[in-house]
Amino acid sequence: MILSAVLAPLLGAFILPLVGKFSKPVRNILALLLVVFPLAISLALAAFVLNGRDVTSIRILPLGFNFIFHADALAVFMAVVSSLISAIIVIYSFGYISHYDNQNEYYMMVVLFLGAMMGLIYAGNLIFLYIFWEITAIASWRLIGFFRAKTDVLKADKSFLVTIFGALMMLLGFALIYQQTGSFDLAVIHERFKGEPISTLAVGLILIGIFSKSATLPFHTWLPDAGVAPSPVTALLHAAVLVKIGVYAFARLFVVTIPLLDYWHSVIPFIAGISAIVSAAAALIDTDLKRIIAYSTISQIAFIFLGLSIGNEVGIAGGLLYIFMHGLAKAGLFLCAGIVEQNTKIKDITQLGGLAKTMPVTAISFLFCAFSVMGIPPFGGFFCKYMVMAGALQGGHLFLAGMFLFGAFLTILYLLRVFTMVFLGESKTSEAKEGDPVMVFCVALLAVLSLAGGIFIYYPNQVVTNVVQQMLVMHK
Amino acid sequence: MTNSILLLPIYVPLFCGLVVLALRKSQRVKEGITFTATAINFLFAILLFKHDIVVSLPWAGFGMEFSLRLYHFSGFILLAVAFFSFLISLYSVSFMRSKEKLNQFYSYLLLSLALVNGAVLADNLILLLFFWEGLLLTLFGMIAIGNKGAFKTAVKALVIVGISDLCMMVGIGLTGHLAGTLKISEIYVPANTIGSVAFVLLMIGAIAKAGSMPFHSWIPDAATQAPLPFMAFLPASLEKLLGIYFLARISLDMFKLNAHSWLSTLLMVIGSITVVLAVMMALVQKDYKKLLSYHAISQVGYMILGIGTCLPIGIVGGLFHMINHAMYKSCLFLTAGSVEKAAGTTDLEKLGGLGRKMPVTFICFLVAAASISGVPPFNGFFSKEMVYDAALERGALFYVAAILGAFFTAASFLKLGHAVFLGQLKDAHKNVKESSPAMLVPMMLIAGGCILFGVYNVFPLRHFIQPILSVQLLNVPDFSGFPSNGMIVLITVLVLAGALFHHVTSAKIMGGGHKAAEHIRHAPVLSGIYDRAEARLLDPYDIGLRVVHAICRVGWWIDRAIDSVYDRFCVSISQRCSNVLRSLHNGNYALYIIWALIGSVAVVFYALQ
Repeated sequence: MILSAVLAPLLGAFILPLVGKFSKPVRNILALLLVVFPLAISLALAAFVLNGRDVTSIRILPLGFNFIFHADALAVFMAVVSSLISAIIVIYSFGYISHYDNQNEYYMMVVLFLGAMMGLIYAGNLIFLYIFWEITAIASWRLIGFFRAKTDVLKADKSFLVTIFGALMMLLGFALIYQQTGSFDLAVIHERFKGEPISTLAVGLILIGIFSKSATLPFHTWLPDAGVAPSPVTALLHAAVLVKIGVYAFARLFVVTIPLLDYWHSVIPFIAGISAIVSAAAALIDTDLKRIIAYSTISQIAFIFLGLSIGNEVGIAGGLLYIFMHGLAKAGLFLCAGIVEQNTKIKDITQLGGLAKTMPVTAISFLFCAFSVMGIPPFGGFFCKYMVMAGALQGGHLFLAGMFLFGAFLTILYLLRVFTMVFLGESKTSEAKEGDPVMVFCVALLAVLSLAGGIFIYYPNQVVTNVVQQMLVMHK
Repeated sequence: MTNSILLLPIYVPLFCGLVVLALRKSQRVKEGITFTATAINFLFAILLFKHDIVVSLPWAGFGMEFSLRLYHFSGFILLAVAFFSFLISLYSVSFMRSKEKLNQFYSYLLLSLALVNGAVLADNLILLLFFWEGLLLTLFGMIAIGNKGAFKTAVKALVIVGISDLCMMVGIGLTGHLAGTLKISEIYVPANTIGSVAFVLLMIGAIAKAGSMPFHSWIPDAATQAPLPFMAFLPASLEKLLGIYFLARISLDMFKLNAHSWLSTLLMVIGSITVVLAVMMALVQKDYKKLLSYHAISQVGYMILGIGTCLPIGIVGGLFHMINHAMYKSCLFLTAGSVEKAAGTTDLEKLGGLGRKMPVTFICFLVAAASISGVPPFNGFFSKEMVYDAALERGALFYVAAILGAFFTAASFLKLGHAVFLGQLKDAHKNVKESSPAMLVPMMLIAGGCILFGVYNVFPLRHFIQPILSVQLLNVPDFSGFPSNGMIVLITVLVLAGALFHHVTSAKIMGGGHKAAEHIRHAPVLSGIYDRAEARLLDPYDIGLRVVHAICRVGWWIDRAIDSVYDRFCVSISQRCSNVLRSLHNGNYALYIIWALIGSVAVVFYALQ
């Protein structure tokens, strides 16, 4: 069952261009189906995994490397979140991408990306984790360079090189683990590291990979540069899915599988704290709409790292919840930016203004998503921010909490700055109309989900609590 | 009576607010729903008062429970909130007519009411913060629907209150960690070093909600831009009630401050500074609403000062002042709305002589102004006397600040009343009429309350205020009746008489009531400070933003520096490397043979070893 969730989009992606030769609507529907399919499978698995608290795994052994897919609560949670958000983004693309060339390639890469993402999530073996990791890098390289201008291609190359560099470092780290344990199988590695600490070098190398994928200081600058991509791509890559790969790998490796030594619980949050502040500061100075939101992603990813790396239950739960809430809200922000950009042809916020009058739904959706990222109740982001902070305080890291408090201040400032400059005040552009109904529907849906996620916090938190318990039970 | 009745004060306004928001047209229906909902809410509050009810439902996990607790204190605040929102909704029905653009106001009013009720009843810190911070949204909405440019103030308010709420969030996290629970009624944290940090963070949230300095600067801006009932509703009454309520909860229940703690001194210092600075700003304002808004800030100082003394008389005085202030200040704002509606302006220079045309408004103004100035026997007098008494016991300096505040308060209200209601009637206002009954009734009721709470202060003190303390301090002396300390009363009366004398003489010299404070405005040292304040150089918000921007510049440079490592350094390194390697492959056979020889020699050596 897990295998089909991975292989369907992975292989189906290559059929899409062929179908696209004959009929565009069929291709679009097929692309959506290929994204919804893993969502359905993961939901079915979720019912199984969360209720029975049982770990299902399928093993096929065709090669020397064990070909293992493994679904536990964490994997299912992550799979549901990323395929749900991807599905909304694909629907949005129907409206957005129909204006441009190379649509076949676009849908192929998006679906391929999601397939690789599913593979990465369910992989129970470090080598397969690495392979899927690289497939996502290739797909995102093509997607960032979707518009063929020279600078666009250069930025795509930059992000590809940075993430590949990180991935190779990570591979070295995996090799070191192999040296220590003699296996790439996560379950085996987990058993081996129960008594014995992992070498600092291996952790450091793997962290380089994780940080470069999740755009954390000092490997973050490719992310704002990748804002040249079409908006659904930036939403998919920067907000919802790609940057969460690193976070997920962190949770998978260093929370579930390998216990870290104590000092990492201070060092990693500290790096994340600096990342949060520097990127938030950059977001407050920059004037390009999509770059600002991209910087905001870097800064919020740092909050997720804080939660996951602090090493207590509340923090981990807050971090996981934030993966979900941030994905929703940030995808909403990027997609709103896409509507603004497509209708006004301007990305510089100093030249925009007063759009709330002509695009009211987009403006309100943007505001809702922004409130969620700021952490204002009753939006979902509020609980995540609190839980992450509470995690830091329970760990006794008052200084870290202070750093992130400052980061949260800046979040309020830069998001309100963007909102004010783009949607309020005097209109500086010629009459801009509201976007395509499909696109507006998608952003409104994301905004409503962000709101509902906070009001009905009982349900997501029930799931997250379950996931965390399972993660930590495995620890013992 | 089942316990879940406690959910109704939250759900009823919430539901009605959403319905009003969903309705597109029909102003009348919206007004009707709003009025009915606030009336029902008022009824609930009366019925629930004096009951003890606890409700607890599972919510977000990790100690976050949906638990509500009704007891004496929260019941009292619930009642006060319901009273004011009922009257203000009645007032708005008349005031807002013909202002179609503002029809979102009603739904924000109801949503705010639901959130305030939730925050007051919450018995879990996170639940409290959930409602408390949710108020930001309605605050933002209410200001943003004001006149052109109001959105800037709305953003300012959102930033200031949002940032202080984040501090409170961290404070709550810390308190929860230290106390081991988030249940408010079970929390006790000793005020040691780390406990003090938690207290300060929570205090920032509380006093920012109450509008104390340095978190005040959005209030005067909002006064002229937001719809007027908003001012009477949130900054003047509900937010004060909520902020001071929480301040009292943290300092009395959760941290059990005592008079020896430096936190107590900190509170008193903040209170005194707020009293004096805000009243000095109020004195020189030239706009009815703006002048009132500075007083709304200044009076918070007395409440914080009173609670900060940590003496029973001070706490009782502070809490009594909280309820008194909500009464007279909302009454004053309502008179301002009445004048605005009738005369079309609130600029003091364009007003005058309205007392004869609008007698009821004038009388209500007189009562409320006398209360805020602390004239016996109105309610403000009694609560201020208690605060003075406590302040004097803690330090003469605090007392001097408080009494200085009283002098300028009286002076500025003499100026305001003189400028608006007395003097020459302007030509433009010959046809001005008294406002409609729907606007007058709330003012009259509140003004009547001011007299009642003053003359018959036994009633509020014994039934509402003093029982709050009796939970903590077993033997609270009865403070009702006339103040016991005759000396302080005498000084107060002298100061008030001085203010009157000052006003009469300076108005005569300067020519006209609205100019009565001009000589203070242009006094040697003060004029420089006032000039800067009026040029907005002293706004803590602007200063803070400038500092943050400077820090952000640094962050931006760091970011650019890292980026240039990738864009320049890495690129040039790899280019150089490939240049070196390229120069080794220049197509020269002789060179290749040499390389091959060196290589073979190396292999041979390696093999031999």
